[in-house]
Amino acid sequence: MTVKIERGQIVTVERGKRTARRLPGMGLLDGMAVVWKHWAGSFRKNQGFNDIHGVFTYEYPEERPKLPEAYRNMPILLYDDETSHELCTSCFQCERICPPQVIHMTQAKDPATGKPVPAVAEFVIEYDACMSCGFCAEVCPFDAIKMDHEFELSTADHQKLTVFKEQLNRPISYYERIAPTMWAEVRDGAMKKLQGNIKRRPDVIGMAPNLAEKIAARRRELEAAAAAATAPAAPAAAPAEGRKLTPEEKAAKLAAIKAANAAKKAGDTVEPPVAPAGAAPADEKAARLAAIRAKNAARKGEAPDAPPVVAGEPAGEAPPADEKAARLAAIRAKNAARKAAEGSDGAPVEANVAATEPAAAPPAAGAATSAAEAATAPADEKAARLAAIRAKNAARKAAGGGSDAAAPTTTGNVDSGGPGASDDAALS
Amino acid sequence: MYDIVNGLINTTFGWNWPGWVIALISHLLVTTLLFAIAPFQMLFLTYYERRAIARMQDRIGPNRVGPAGLLQPIADGVKMFTKEDIVPAAADRWVHFLAPCVVVAPTMLMFAVLPWGPGMVPVDLNVGLLFFFAISSISAVGLLMAGLASSNKFALLGAMRAVAQMVSYEIPAVLSLLAVVMLTGTLSIVQLIEAQAGLFISSADVPGVPDLGLGWFIFTPVGLLAFIVFFIAALAEGERTPFDIPEADSEIVAGYMTEYSGMKFGLFYLAQYVLNFLLCAIAAVIFFGGWQGPGVGWLYDRAISPANPDGNWVFNLLAGFLGVFYLLAKTYAFFFVMVWLRGAFPRLRVDQLMDFGWKFLIPLTLVNIVSAAIWVALLRWGPEQGITFTQNWTPILRWGVAFAVTLAVNIVAYIALARIFAASQAEQGRIDLDEYRDTLTATLR
Repeated sequence: MTVKIERGQIVTVERGKRTARRLPGMGLLDGMAVVWKHWAGSFRKNQGFNDIHGVFTYEYPEERPKLPEAYRNMPILLYDDETSHELCTSCFQCERICPPQVIHMTQAKDPATGKPVPAVAEFVIEYDACMSCGFCAEVCPFDAIKMDHEFELSTADHQKLTVFKEQLNRPISYYERIAPTMWAEVRDGAMKKLQGNIKRRPDVIGMAPNLAEKIAARRRELEAAAAAATAPAAPAAAPAEGRKLTPEEKAAKLAAIKAANAAKKAGDTVEPPVAPAGAAPADEKAARLAAIRAKNAARKGEAPDAPPVVAGEPAGEAPPADEKAARLAAIRAKNAARKAAEGSDGAPVEANVAATEPAAAPPAAGAATSAAEAATAPADEKAARLAAIRAKNAARKAAGGGSDAAAPTTTGNVDSGGPGASDDAALS
Repeated sequence: MYDIVNGLINTTFGWNWPGWVIALISHLLVTTLLFAIAPFQMLFLTYYERRAIARMQDRIGPNRVGPAGLLQPIADGVKMFTKEDIVPAAADRWVHFLAPCVVVAPTMLMFAVLPWGPGMVPVDLNVGLLFFFAISSISAVGLLMAGLASSNKFALLGAMRAVAQMVSYEIPAVLSLLAVVMLTGTLSIVQLIEAQAGLFISSADVPGVPDLGLGWFIFTPVGLLAFIVFFIAALAEGERTPFDIPEADSEIVAGYMTEYSGMKFGLFYLAQYVLNFLLCAIAAVIFFGGWQGPGVGWLYDRAISPANPDGNWVFNLLAGFLGVFYLLAKTYAFFFVMVWLRGAFPRLRVDQLMDFGWKFLIPLTLVNIVSAAIWVALLRWGPEQGITFTQNWTPILRWGVAFAVTLAVNIVAYIALARIFAASQAEQGRIDLDEYRDTLTATLR
């Protein structure tokens, strides 16, 4: 018999009615009758909590009870079945709340910029000290860490109980199978957050490392997108890229615009055909400043191991003419941008260089020809403006190439054209 | 067995060996057979008990070793053999060594008078019952040896409890059997079984009752009461659970077996289970007809026997199988009851055990002996013994009157004794409580 109350059921076991004890020794027989009922009832399974007879035993290895959904043993990490992106964003909430402090993680970083991205690089849980409290699963804002139902963890190898991300990863479908209603409650929110996080993850960061096929597929997809973006962007201003510009790109673009503006201003002030030397020291100074800014901005995009910039040295010399100053500024800007491109294209994988060679050729050729043109250009304001525009383009291209997976510029091409052109420009 | 060996050697082969050689060979064969059977009984009983008690506790019991766990006792035996044999430094080495042998030997000797089937008894002693219980008491000596030689307080306590219990409970056991001996007038176990032919009424009491092998003493009031008392006493003698005081594991570790390990412990274990088997078997033999059952008598009438030398040996075989089957079925049923009691009841205290034995069971058996005397007087005695009023009664009337009178006597005696016992226990409890209260108040003051 059960009594239902708000929080569940109270099970009461009914005693048999007491027999009148007329004969001495009947109590003993009552006791034996109880045992007999248990013996006779033990040839079937116990039916439920109300049932006091029947065998309670689960013959464990062969026969496994269905665990309740909320059963918890050890934490696991979830990843999405379709995209194979991990739900974890490395927010450190679980690491912070873990009472025995057995959760450790490192956040993934964008290889291009070195800035953290919402993904986890390595995730370690020491199962041997985990107390299965489930706080990590409760605190996780992204529903990335959940409690598993697997309990057969005994091992002779103690080291195996320090579990890394690759062993912790489970597909969402697995968790959905062991806890369908619990996952249904949080599914929509978790998937929405995951989509937002995927947008902020460059390259294949944050994908389950044990799914190599998915990673390769994603990489091919990214390459195709990058190639599609860079091929039409080479001659044009290349605003067609769907994604937002990274801060470095923005800065480079801004600097190039400033350089162009400064050069134009310099050209405007020396409208007369003959430009007297030292006539506009302020203009010249402004152009040089712009060039330095452009250079610095472009250098920001460089990898830290890039060699120190030498292009700034001739800035100390007194330039004789305005047009010369403007051209020099443009060249400097271009050089700086190229260096930025050189520095940052070491980071992406070189395996794809061969595939991207056709895509990389046009901008390199463009840069070379523009430098050559700049060297032979007449000393007028038109030439200065052209140089500034070219510098701008080159800077933008360099920045775009540096942050893209498929680096469009190969160092060999630029080296052959770049320094020579700048020398020419400086000499003329 | 003597007949078979004699027939084989002297008749079939015609070697004309002397009688003593034949007797030697046949007895050696029987002994070998029994020594092989006894340990197997013990192995089976341990398995049987564990499975049965598990079912009573809503479990399954050992079911991993072999099909349905049947090889579990073998695994236990292997474990027992491979254990280290430890003798305490302070122990009396020789007594410690001999004690298990002294305990095991009597249980093996008790097989000598146990009939397995019609004509299947190693020795048909005319004092078989006396021999059986006299020998069984010897194991008390072994228990005391074990307890004393171990030089361990728990072992000594256990041994003293065991001896006290065995001595106390042999009295009601033997007195209850005395009633049955009075009914039949014989101490031979074979004749006791033969007296239980019939159908609910022994054909020895009322001639002409159809023989279905069901004239058991349990169907008489005297036999019923004697059986109840005997079975309780057997529980105490075999140290079964309500009376397992000598080896109360929650009080005195393992009693007299505390300092034994390995195969010596195994021997104690063997002795205990063989003793339990024998007590169940003797209860089946004396009160439930032993090998008696429907069909055995009919088959044995057609077999080769001293009474019927030109029978057919096939009937010997059939009667033997059926008889052994009946005996073992009854024995295992009694062992099941022992396990059942173990599952149902907690252990008694020592004083409760002694009170129950001396103040309740012994008076009850004494009354039962009076009932048996009435039964014998009404059924068997005639004018020559001074009983004249039953002279003209038919045997069935005599039996009916005897049944009614003894039943009334026994029931009245049972209820009266139980009430007296309960009252005395309650009074004793009150006295104990008062004493306790007095000491408590004295201490607090």
